[in-house]
Amino acid sequence: MAFTSDLDQITRAAAGDPAAVRALVNRYSPGVLGLATRMLADRAEAEDVTQETFLRAWKALPGWEPRAKFSTWLHRVALNLCYDRLRKRKESLPGALPDQADTRLAPHEALDQAQRVSAIEGAITALPERQSAALTLCALQGHSQAEAAEILEISVEALESLLARARRTLRAQLLEGRTSA
Amino acid sequence: MTEDRLIELIEAWGADPSAYPEADRAAARALLAAHPQRFADALAEARVLDAALARMPEILPSTTLTDALVASAPKPRRAAGGFGLPKFAPWAPASGFAALAAGLFMGVMVAPAASAASETEEVERVLEHALGFDPAAFAEELG
Repeated sequence: MAFTSDLDQITRAAAGDPAAVRALVNRYSPGVLGLATRMLADRAEAEDVTQETFLRAWKALPGWEPRAKFSTWLHRVALNLCYDRLRKRKESLPGALPDQADTRLAPHEALDQAQRVSAIEGAITALPERQSAALTLCALQGHSQAEAAEILEISVEALESLLARARRTLRAQLLEGRTSA
Repeated sequence: MTEDRLIELIEAWGADPSAYPEADRAAARALLAAHPQRFADALAEARVLDAALARMPEILPSTTLTDALVASAPKPRRAAGGFGLPKFAPWAPASGFAALAAGLFMGVMVAPAASAASETEEVERVLEHALGFDPAAFAEELG
């Protein structure tokens, strides 16, 4: 059965229509899981966040009012859950920060594809959390500027600033890796 | 569009002007076309990062996670042993009002008959007569 809109799917999912539920999961779980994985750098925790996000979504569906896009709302919930977990991690290490991982990218030519991907993943995760979220939403997941700004609850100008800082850090590491090859 | 602004756009959004905010896009394209060499270094650096980010694989949920997400969703609403009607049917309040109206109507129709004392006395007289009961003799016996 073809669904024409988010609202149609949401209405059907709220009534327990299995096809609509699966369609929502298939459409949005990769984005939620991807965001959580890149924010938390922990697949198991990211899956927990994804499950918690969808549980909240199911509870919200019966009274859903399309003031915001469902996708925007869902990613914002996921992002806030990630922020909570990152905060708890910091609180669980009072007075001592975890060892800072070496996020410098190794020489470009010396790395195979899997290593390059892993190195960039590590560098993105090591960014300040809001920069990491901004880069993931815009550069990796293709959210529009307006939607990414809404998820992050900031202006498009502030989003641009976060992206510029994130890209500057990553670019410096990429170039450093290349020149030291 | 100033050159500084164009550099800011390249640093934030990358080498492809189609990713820039819509309000800046046309002017950025025009400035890039007018002075390609002036922005060549900034574009080259941005392209390195754009290419690295483009190679990042999408993170996909496992079948186990997908099934768990689906299983946690609301179940279809059906009355137990019923006919698939919602638990709180929208017409339920209307049926209540209909029952109330019917009750009131019946009350109005029945109440006058039940309270008609003259009719009750008439019925008693008919019964006494049929059974051969004499109220005057009965009164004398009581004294």
